[in-house]
Amino acid sequence: MAHPAEQAFVLLLPTDVYATAGTLAVILSIVLVTCVRPQLLRGFFSARDLGRWPVLPTAAVSISALASLVYGLLVYVGFYGPSDPQNNLLPLTVWTAWWIAAFVVQGLVLDIWRLINPWEGLHRLVFEDAAGPLRLPEWLQAWPAVCIFLAFQGFVLADIAPNDPRRLASFALGYWVFTFAGMTLFGRAAWLAQVECFTVLFRLIGSLRPVDLQGRFKLGFVGWQSLLDAPLDLSRAVFCLIILASGSFDGLHETFWWLGRIGVNPLEFPGRSAVIAQSLLGLYASNAALIGIFALSVWIGIKTLAAVSSETHTPFATAFCTFAIAILPIALGYHIAHYLVTLMIQGQYVLSTLSDPLARGWNLFGLGDLRITTGFLNTQASVKVIWLTQAGAVVVSHVISVLMTHHLAGRFCNKNKDLISIQIGLSVLMIAYTIFGLWLLASPRGA
Amino acid sequence: MSNGTSKTSKISRRSALLGMGAGAGALAAAGVLPGTMGFAQAQSSAPIKIGFQKHATGIGAAYGRWYGATTDAAVKRINDAGGINGRPVEVVVEDDGTDPGRGAEVLEKFANQHNCDVAFGTLFSHVVIGSAPRAGELKLPYFVVSEGHHVASGMLNRYTLQPGITDVKSQVISMAPFVANNLGKKVTMIYPDFAFGHDHRDFFSEAIAAQGGEVVAKIAIPPTETSFTRYFPSIPRETEVIYHVMVGPAVLTFVKELGEFFGPNRPELFGFIDSLEAVDIKSSGLEFLEGTYFWEGMPRYAQADQADYEKDYRAAVGVDENGASIADSKDVATYAHMFGCWETLNIIKAGMESADYQGPQDRAKLIEAVEAMTDMPAGADHPQGAKRFNGKTHQTFGSQYISKVTDGKLVVEHTASIEDGLYEDEVDYTAQSF
Repeated sequence: MAHPAEQAFVLLLPTDVYATAGTLAVILSIVLVTCVRPQLLRGFFSARDLGRWPVLPTAAVSISALASLVYGLLVYVGFYGPSDPQNNLLPLTVWTAWWIAAFVVQGLVLDIWRLINPWEGLHRLVFEDAAGPLRLPEWLQAWPAVCIFLAFQGFVLADIAPNDPRRLASFALGYWVFTFAGMTLFGRAAWLAQVECFTVLFRLIGSLRPVDLQGRFKLGFVGWQSLLDAPLDLSRAVFCLIILASGSFDGLHETFWWLGRIGVNPLEFPGRSAVIAQSLLGLYASNAALIGIFALSVWIGIKTLAAVSSETHTPFATAFCTFAIAILPIALGYHIAHYLVTLMIQGQYVLSTLSDPLARGWNLFGLGDLRITTGFLNTQASVKVIWLTQAGAVVVSHVISVLMTHHLAGRFCNKNKDLISIQIGLSVLMIAYTIFGLWLLASPRGA
Repeated sequence: MSNGTSKTSKISRRSALLGMGAGAGALAAAGVLPGTMGFAQAQSSAPIKIGFQKHATGIGAAYGRWYGATTDAAVKRINDAGGINGRPVEVVVEDDGTDPGRGAEVLEKFANQHNCDVAFGTLFSHVVIGSAPRAGELKLPYFVVSEGHHVASGMLNRYTLQPGITDVKSQVISMAPFVANNLGKKVTMIYPDFAFGHDHRDFFSEAIAAQGGEVVAKIAIPPTETSFTRYFPSIPRETEVIYHVMVGPAVLTFVKELGEFFGPNRPELFGFIDSLEAVDIKSSGLEFLEGTYFWEGMPRYAQADQADYEKDYRAAVGVDENGASIADSKDVATYAHMFGCWETLNIIKAGMESADYQGPQDRAKLIEAVEAMTDMPAGADHPQGAKRFNGKTHQTFGSQYISKVTDGKLVVEHTASIEDGLYEDEVDYTAQSF
């Protein structure tokens, strides 16, 4: 959504100064971390066990089953509720409450997807632990999920009206049936782990959470659980990269720069319908480009390490699948930065529509009288706070990524010189991506 | 953004209600179902459905939100006063994404899915131009609130009308007498280098020449530009007035750099509020605009001599005396344009009542009734001012306001008359068949 006033104030901010400071912070973190031995970082990334935590599997199943019911109701509202997407709870829930907010909650606070995914609880109630009659081959890994997630991103970025309640309800219903049928035929666990892209996504993003509540209350630094998952299999390593690449292109495709590339006047954006092919091409090219650049960065590290140290041989595939998980914090940071303003506006619509979820003229919680405002985009002071929050999310996420990368490097070598060598490509990538992320935030947008 | 600034829209709730199971009861009560009171009765009390093609998302979202608020307020007022021909009005909102392709789809939904009587509300020119042919094919009256010259230029069709807001050609040419007589005759124009800027350039160059003035320089700025200082040395020394119509995210930068370039010794400045619509004039960086002039479609700030009907309109749409939301003084409205929704809805009502509109079979009668309209007095139905509709060109003409930034507020300095904005007809849509 374009808000000219906000953009105009951002252009008046000294964003080049802020961006330089942010980039220097990331460079400094790289320099500092090379002075720290991996053993110290290991302590940093290990969790503290703070005691027992009750596990309530029945409660989780019940809540998830309830989520199926809510999902059904939302689809109903999508089909038969108001045609205005900002007055209809389906698009508001899907795009604001779930895609924007639940993503962040999953990454930082709690395993919300386990509770709200609309298939698992119901499937357990109906089929218990029965495995399906068919089997998904293991060699498939999570590649089906990768493909479906890429298709989903195409829908988000290029579809002419992803907000249209009826259109969205058709997709939501279709995907629910597809997933439930898949779980039934191929087994719940296998389908969710290999095909259902949002479970794969939320498990990856959820691994960043500082808190683990599976029986014990464990608290650590952001990403400590992710490190336990490394190395990922190749499909999940690629999944980490496409989360970031898709999020990055989501930001890029609105900029004057991108619109200039595709020959569109940014002051006269012709609408999504006029740029469907360009958006899809750009999205998938960005994904391919980031995978290629990341692979190159890892390869440079391995070659540099081999040049300075004859002791170790590091297989490329292992390194690629190990380091990829360190991309997750950046993906989450971009998500926060990219969607912050949308959340601040659309969140108000969610609250006021919750007052009357079935569109029957109710005014629950007294929120129906809420007047939506975008006044916070209209003053220099508030726009500055918003921008610095977004930039902060980008910079902090890169610093966390630097720390995780350094920790992971300790799996391949020990000496300081070797550690610097194996990370050399990735360090350059981190710095370049910080500059890119801050440039994105400061760029004028026209779509 | 959706249903306007306020979400308590009982109007669209009602449409939802009908679709959600309560519909059967409502229809039975209205006598539509077999065995009830009969169709004639039902038809006379069924709601008039107006499809609102809204820029809820996309580049027009800031406008769409306020167009929504104004639409809700206008329909509430119409319904409170008994609706249209005794029937309630129901607004069906569809988001066009500020996208011409989607806009055409949305019109189709209005006609075929929602069974709307008319479509209404579009602002952005490219969406109007992309949607109007479909309105013609669907034979769906399409009332736009766009201020583009495309309606009166003849490029659209008999089903597309713009009765509630003046067009840019009229706005621009009506400025020329004031500029020439009060600010100066040697004008430098600074405008973005695409159709929007070119319209201003062409219409104003001709109009100022007719006033004995001249455009001494035309400085076209590439749309992707975000820094302007290098263009300012091209402003000729003899310039008495700078006419600027920059739009887009770099507009505050433009003003700031212009201020830095000229300092206190500037020529007179005249601009269009489109540049700063929904932006607070008191924003930092805009101090340089003090003492400069702007065209306003409707005065953003309540003037000392504000009429009662305008005060009522302001309250109804939820805007305070500074042109901002009554709920948040920072949330500045698109006040110069949104009145067009209010006035258009009142014209639809007047047209339907004059045509004794009963249903889609009377759409052509409705268009003929609106085409027959001429002068509309200022008042509660037309709070922006009196209008004169030209049935042949499907375009309305009205007063234009020139305001001076005084102590950080826009104070009306001159009101251009309807006659100042008239021009030769370029089309006669009434000659086209239905």
